[in-house]
Order: sequence, then structure tokens, then C-alpha cells
Amino acid sequence: MSSASSTPLLPPPPAAAAAAGATVATKVYGSGENEVRALDGVTVSFAARAFTAIMGPSGSGKSTLMHCVAGLDHLTSGEVFIGDTVLSTLNDKQLTTLRRDSVGFIFQAFNLVPTLNAEENILLPVALAGRKPDQAWVDHVIDTVGLRSRLHHRPSELSGGQQQRVAVARALASRPTIIFADEPTGNLDSKSGADILSFMRHAVRELDQTIVMVTHDPMAASYSDRVVFLADGRIDGEMADPTADRVLSRLRRLEA
Amino acid sequence: MWKVTIKGLLAHKGRMVLTAVAVLLGVAFMSGVQVLGDTLNQTFNSLFADINKGTDGYVRREATVEVFGQKVRGRVDESLLPIVRQVDGVAEAQGNVQGYASVIGSNGKPINDGQGSPNMGMAWDPSPTLSPWRLTEGRAPAQAGEIVIDKRSADVGKLTLGTKATVLTKDAPGQFTIVGIARFGTADSPAGASVAIFTLPEAQRLVAQPGQLDGIAVVAGPGVSQEQVTANIAKALPAGTEALTGKALTKENQSDIQKSLAFFNTFLLVFAAIALFVGSFIIYNTFSIIVAQRGKEMALLRAIGASRGQVLRSILLEAAVVGLIAGAVGLVTGIALSIGLKSALSAFGIDLPSGSIVVTSGTVITSFVVGVGITLASAFFPARKASRVPPVAAMRDVAVDSSGTSRVRLVIGVVVAVLGAAALVGGLSRGEISYVGLGVLLTFVGLAVLGPLIARPLSKLIGRPVARLRGVTGQLARNNAARNPKRTASTASALMIGLGLVAFIVIFGASAKASVGQIVDENFKGDFVVRASSGGGPPGQGGVSPKLTAQLNQTPEVEVATGIRFNFMKVDGGATQVLGVDPVTVTPLFDIGIVGGKVSDLDTEQIAVSKQRMEDKGWKLGDTVPVEFADTGAKTFTIAAVYTADQLAGPYVIGHAAYDANFADVYDFQVYVARKAGGSDADAKAAITKVVSAYPGAQVEDRAEFKQAQADQINQFLGLITVMLAFAVIISFFGIWNTLALSIIERKRELGVLRAVGMTRAQVRASIRWESVIIALQGTALGLVVGVFFSWAVVRALKSQGFTVYSLPLVQLLFIAVFAALAAVAMSVFPARRAARQDVLLAIATE
Repeated sequence: MSSASSTPLLPPPPAAAAAAGATVATKVYGSGENEVRALDGVTVSFAARAFTAIMGPSGSGKSTLMHCVAGLDHLTSGEVFIGDTVLSTLNDKQLTTLRRDSVGFIFQAFNLVPTLNAEENILLPVALAGRKPDQAWVDHVIDTVGLRSRLHHRPSELSGGQQQRVAVARALASRPTIIFADEPTGNLDSKSGADILSFMRHAVRELDQTIVMVTHDPMAASYSDRVVFLADGRIDGEMADPTADRVLSRLRRLEA
Repeated sequence: MWKVTIKGLLAHKGRMVLTAVAVLLGVAFMSGVQVLGDTLNQTFNSLFADINKGTDGYVRREATVEVFGQKVRGRVDESLLPIVRQVDGVAEAQGNVQGYASVIGSNGKPINDGQGSPNMGMAWDPSPTLSPWRLTEGRAPAQAGEIVIDKRSADVGKLTLGTKATVLTKDAPGQFTIVGIARFGTADSPAGASVAIFTLPEAQRLVAQPGQLDGIAVVAGPGVSQEQVTANIAKALPAGTEALTGKALTKENQSDIQKSLAFFNTFLLVFAAIALFVGSFIIYNTFSIIVAQRGKEMALLRAIGASRGQVLRSILLEAAVVGLIAGAVGLVTGIALSIGLKSALSAFGIDLPSGSIVVTSGTVITSFVVGVGITLASAFFPARKASRVPPVAAMRDVAVDSSGTSRVRLVIGVVVAVLGAAALVGGLSRGEISYVGLGVLLTFVGLAVLGPLIARPLSKLIGRPVARLRGVTGQLARNNAARNPKRTASTASALMIGLGLVAFIVIFGASAKASVGQIVDENFKGDFVVRASSGGGPPGQGGVSPKLTAQLNQTPEVEVATGIRFNFMKVDGGATQVLGVDPVTVTPLFDIGIVGGKVSDLDTEQIAVSKQRMEDKGWKLGDTVPVEFADTGAKTFTIAAVYTADQLAGPYVIGHAAYDANFADVYDFQVYVARKAGGSDADAKAAITKVVSAYPGAQVEDRAEFKQAQADQINQFLGLITVMLAFAVIISFFGIWNTLALSIIERKRELGVLRAVGMTRAQVRASIRWESVIIALQGTALGLVVGVFFSWAVVRALKSQGFTVYSLPLVQLLFIAVFAALAAVAMSVFPARRAARQDVLLAIATE
């Protein structure tokens, strides 16, 4: 629809403004006849203090891209970076530390640790690093997501929406360089989902955080500043200031 | 359903192996004991059949006193021998004499020193038909001063034909020329015993009584049956003697040895049962976890039409297959174990005649029945629970944990534990061993039932310092240990049983040692103790010759020495132990707390009785009591003294005059010595040692050394029991491994999340490790509580037997806890590694 949306992405911009990104990222599963190219030379960068959505049909490689940029999975070739760090140079321990200190995660299935209460879950990455939390910041985050009264509840005593708010707070607590969200509203009703997305947008706009969200929901994508489309493991354009309608029709074209 | 079961088993090979190990070890222990028992039985059966092969009839005294199921017989006069020889149908008759004699090897030490096989002396039987001895070198003893020794003693003691050897008997140590070396049938020695064979008169003088025979063995004339010759002899015998056929004698020997082997077997089987009991907790736990993890699968099966019965049977079938494998492998392992045990016995000097290993169909059947039975029984409740999963559960997420905090559980647990404790205490005070066993079992079961109720708070408590010290890693460990109370509880319960019994043994041993120390401190007023090398013979036999005491009393450095004798007799119709003391020399050395009468003039028909026994029997000083001796028959004794120190002296004490008059074989088992005032301890000890050196095997100990020697004996026994309990403890530690491994499968996703949000592999491993430690310490804590209670109850019950002190060896108990923690760390290695390698992506994948 928009001319901007179909413009192929140019070679990567200088990384100065990017919180994270990938250069000619390729991920191949299997070999020979069973070879599947989940990522096929993807070059993308995610701007700091921006809310970026990654969209594409099932099997387009959007989750693989996120996993690789977040340091959860390894590329077959190419590079990914977070801040100034090129991930392929890190061993497992350094990667883990990077995830702990510089990356936040929000998952579709909430994925809280069931034996820890809400507050302990929120502070988990900070505690794993053996650091003292920035109490003022954490308090602010907790108040923002409205969990003050639920801090001592176990995940099993919280609703889905509340659990995901804990997850958002956990992602924010250590003030990471970048937060990755994987279908964060996939398991929520529309009201709770809208709340979560508002928090995420709030975190970017008011708290200067950086979020990259994988989603197939145009409504969720409409909360972002920019949508990157993926198809068959390749970048298939992007869209600035998306609305649900524009995203939907763009997707229809993609799938056609 | 068959297919589903088999597929299920194959899919979980790893966990099934760990589960099978839990049963397998117990079955191996059990079948090993059975095989060993059967093998020994058969070996001894053929041994006795061999020994008595030529004996058609046997004459001996009727038994009147029975000690621990063994009949103690007096001797017959040798004037009976010519009478028997004259009896119609008797072709040949020879007198037997057997007693304590200890051959000293060329290194100056007894052939069998300390525990183990006995040291025996006997008379040479000239009849090749009757005697099992076959000379390999030399000739039979022909006169005083000559002996034949068994081939094993010759080999072990490096004694050669024609040389002189020292032999200890109840007489002063003597020098004997070895004129022959003989084998016992086809063995070098009868079951590892050292044997000195004298001429009949010398054997009578040194190991028995002059003019007396243990019995007379008879060969029947041609065409005369055993029954006939025995009947003929019986007619010629005086009252109080009996004749039996050779076959009956063999049968009696066999059944006697079977009885003592059965005792030994039962002793070992108790430990096998403990191991199996512990194993059943592991199986129960494994199946509970598997069933919980596969709840959805079960529900799906139900949804597509499987009946409850089918689901139940499918799981029980799985259990049966595990049990079958465990039974089979356990049996094979057990057979190997029995071979190992047999060689361990010969390493202890108990040389068994060679014989092939006997595996009876009974052993095979019990191995499988127990293997399958225990597995099925333990898996039954988890299986039943699985069969009750409603089909709709397939459609929703199955909650894994059902908390174990029901009131019913609390009530049942408390009732069972209290009943158990009551049975234990009651059984101990009445001496009912079966109540004691039941009490122990019920106490464990009750605590196991209560386990899930206390597992959560206990894990939290034990985990508190861990969480504090190790931060979030420790906190996760603590929470994980507390999250499935049932699972943690049954894992810890298994450990509680093994470690509880170990703790009991440790505390009991410490109390025994402290009590011995206290008795020595409070009642013994002398300076040195001379301890005989234990001869290992029948009760009352073996020790040092009373001549040693006499020599010590003539040593200038010695103020006084007194020999203590020990035997069994009947008092007021009941068999009991009795001490023989020298009334004059014992008083300055021992304070036995005389509260009435005097010990110093105990004569041949007087007895001293403990105050406790007096009260139990309702006797008064000066009363007469009926007594009976194996050698001299029934008598009437007068109560001449009452004492309080029954923990030292036992219930009855008689004077040497009465002892020597009524027991044919007189030895001092210990000699107590006080040195003269002035001079040094060292000089006195040197002087005493010089006298004692003529009696190899006897040791001079000062008070501290004596206490230490007693403690060492106790430690040796405790060590043996601890080794027996090792099986149960090892199994319970496998249980921790198993539980952790299964829990980790369940926590895949959670572990993935932790790794994703920044937990390092080392942190994951540490967390699992600490969880393991918390579970293990929980079992240890419960075990220590149980151990303290059991030992308290037992020590209390044995107060009159000399257990006057209850001592808690804190360092050793702490060591148990440290050991448990370290073992738990070892058990966590593989599960922790697996957890740390968990693929992050697989764990957080949404589909």
C-alpha cells in the first residue's frame, strides 16, 4: 500500500543508533535434501529507544531471527550484535552474562519460575548477577505495571494478564539494552493483551527502553513504531507508524 | 495396551535402569545370603556325614543345661568304656575327648588369635574307622609330650615335623614334640580350627578331666544294624547316660550347625530386608513421578476408550517388567556376591571345605517373587492414581502437585508412629524381639506417612542458610526441594531409614563404650588387666590357665591378682551366666556394691545374687535356691551375699571353690591385677608382662589400654553392622539421583527460562547440587531423630546389662551429616549436568 513498505532495506545503517541487529544472518537446519534455510541473509537493525515489531507468516523465520539476535541460538553464518558486542565472539558463559545484563525477555507462555513469587521473579536476572537492584527504578516499574499489591503471590496465584505483567517487569528490572518479546499477547484475552502492549509502549516512550516484538497479530503490531516484515527467511520490507489495518493488508499481500 | 506399555518402557530406559537398581541391590543381597547359607549347609552336611561315616553308635551324658539352644553336656566316666566294649554286637569302641588347646606358631602367636575359628585339643583315636584324621606325615602320639597337629596349623604356623611347639591348655604352657601332621578327611583342618591331638590320658589331663570321656564312639560288628547295637548298649548304660545311632548323631550335628547358620542367615537377611524396604520407597517415588508426568498421556488413553483397568494394568505391567529384570540381574549379582562372601570368610580364617556353590530353586523363586512383588506392591498406589485420571484431563493441563497436607495423613501418620514407638519400647522392656522389629518398622512407616507434611517446612528450614549464603541459586534449590513435598519426603524417607539405623549404631556404640569406661572407672580398683586371647570355643572354655594367676600372686611387684571365670548353669530352673571369683582376692580389686552378707567366705554351696534378681525372684539373704550344673547335676545353694553392681557381675556370682567343684573345665578368662604401692607403673607392668609372656596370646593392659581394647571390640562389631547397612544407604542415595533426574525432565521449560534470563550453567548445576544436599540433609535430620530415639530406648532397656551411660557422639553424628551432604553432591552430578545442558530454545518453545 505505502511506497515505503515495499522499499528494500539498504545496507545496514551505521550501528551508532542501533541497540541490536543482524548482518547477512543465515540459519540453516538440516543438510542435503532436508535443508531448511530459516534465515537467508537477513540484515536488519533495531534502533535504540524504539518499539520494533517483526511480522511474517508462520515459518517466515521471525522467531529464529529473534532467538539468534537475543543470543539464544547460533547463526550458521553472518553476524548479530547487541550494543557494541558481536555475539559470535562469545562463549556460552559470556552469552549467558550478556543475556542476563543486557537483554530482557517476554515470552508468550509467561514463563515465570513457579517456585518464586512475583517480586522474586522480577528481580531474578539482577539476583542471578549477584547485584543489588536499583530500588527506585524497580519500584517505578512495579508501580507502572500495577503489581504492588501482588508482589508476594506465586505465579499460580496470578491471572494470565498479571503473570505477563510480572514478565514485563522482569524484563525491565535490569534496564537491559534491549527487550525481546515473543508473541507476548498470544495467551491473553484482548483486554489484558492491550494492557501489556500499552505498558510496553510506555516503557519505550517514557522510560527510554528498546523493545523488539515478534507477533503475527496486526493489532499488537500497531502499538509499535516500526514493523519489519519477514518472508521465507528474508526481509520483505518494513512499515513505519503502523496501524492494524495497514499491517493486515500488507500481510495479506505477503501471504498471497 | 501391551504395545503402549512396551513402548513406554523403551522410551524411558534410563529411568527404568535407575529404578531397577533400587530393587536389584536388595535382591542381590538377599539371594547372596541365601546362596551362601545353602552352600554352607551342604558343605557342613557332607562334612558331618563324612566325619561320622564309621560311627554306628555313640554314648554320652544326657544334657541338662542348654545355652543359646546348644546343649551343654557333662562327661562320662572312662570305666564305661570296657562295659560298652563288652556289649553284644560292638566290634570296636573308642573314647572321645575334646577341649581348649591353643597351638602357638613359630612366630610366638596362637594360630587362631582373636575372633574366628576355635583352637581345640583332642585325643588321638587309634581306630581308622572312627577317626576322620589321616596322617600325612609322621605317626600318632604314643606318649606324654607328643602331639599331632592339623596340616593347616603346620602350614600357617610354619611348624615342622620333629620340632617342639608350645601349646596352651588349662595347665601351665607346655612344650610338645610334633610327631605327626594330619588332615581332617579331605580338609587341612576342620573349618579352620587349630587342633592339637594328644594321647588320650594327656588330652584328659590338659583339655578335659582325668578319667573322664566326652563320649564313646562305637563300631558295630558285621551284620549288626546301628539301631540294634545302640539298643544293646542302652541296656548296659547307667542312669544319666544315653546311646544314639551314628545316623542320629550325624543328623543332630547337622541340625545344630544348621541352627547356628540359620541364626547367621537371619541376621544377614534382616539387612537384606532393610535394603529392600528402602528400595520400595524409591520405586514408589519413581512410579508416582512417572505417572504424574504422564498424566496427560493416561488421560488421552482413557479419552480414546481405554478402561481404568487397562490403564492400571499397563502401569503394573511396566512395574512387573522392571521387577523381573531386577530379580534376574539381582539373582546373578547375588550368586557372585556369595562367592565373594565365601572368600571373605576364608580371609578371616574360617576355612570352608571346598564345595560348589549351591543355588536352590527356592533361591531362584524368591529372587523373582521378591523382585517382582516389591516392585508391584510399590507401584500399585501410583498406578491406581493414574487409572483415576479423568479423561477430560487430556484436554487441560494436568496439575503435577497434589499437596500432601491432609488431616487424614496427619492422624494416620501420628497413630502409626506412636504405635511403633510404643511397640519398640514395650518390646524392649519385655525382651520380645519381634515387638521390637515391628516397632522399628512401624516407626519408620509412620514417619514416612508424615513425611509429606513436614517436607515443605523442613526443606525451607534446612534451605534457609543455603538461600542466605548462595543467593538466588540457593533460594531456587530451597524452593525446588520444597515444591513437591511427597516426592522430597519419600526420597528423604529412604535415606532416613538407612542413616537412622547407622546413627542408632553409632550412638549405641558410643554409649556402650562410655558405659564400659564408667564401669572400669567406678568398680575396678586395680591397675592392670590380663586378657586371654579369645579361644572361640564353646561357652566356658578357653582363656588362660589359673596357674597364671597363682604365678602373678607370687610376683614381688604384684599386690594382688584375681582370676575371673565365666560359665553357664541353671539357677531356679533357668539357664543363666555365672561368674566364678576368688572370694579373697576379688574384694580388694572390685567393688560390686555388697548390700548384704559377705563375698569373702563364699564356699562350695553358696551363691551371691544381684539385688535386682533378688527382688525379681522375691528371695531373701539366707534362702536356698535349686541350681544345676552340666557336669555335676542338681544341687542346692544358699544365698550368702547380695550386690548391686549387676552391670559388672551379672545376676549370679559363685566362689572358685563352688566353680571348680562343679565345672570340669577351669580357665580364667581375665585376670585383674593391683600393683604394690611404691615403684612405678612401668616397672610393675614389665614384671607382669614377663610372667604373662609364657602364655602367648594373653595381653597385659593398663586401665586405659583395657578400656581402649573394649572399645575396639565394640567398634569392630559396629563396623560390621555398618557395612551391612551400606546396601540400604547406597540404595537411598540412588533414590536422590533418580528423583533429581525425573524432576529435571519435568522442569525443562523452567530451566530454559532460567538460562534465557541469564542463569549460567554453573549456577544451574549449583542449584541442583544444593537441592540434592537439602533433600539429603532432610533425610539425615529425620534419621538422626530416629537414631537418637532408638538408641535411647535400647540403652534404657539394657541398663541392668551394664548400659549405664547414654552418650551422644556429636562429632560422629556430624560426620554422618557431612557424609550425606557430600554423597548428595556426588549423586547430583549427572542430573545437574543434564539440567545445565538443557537446550534453551526447546524449553521456551511455545508449541
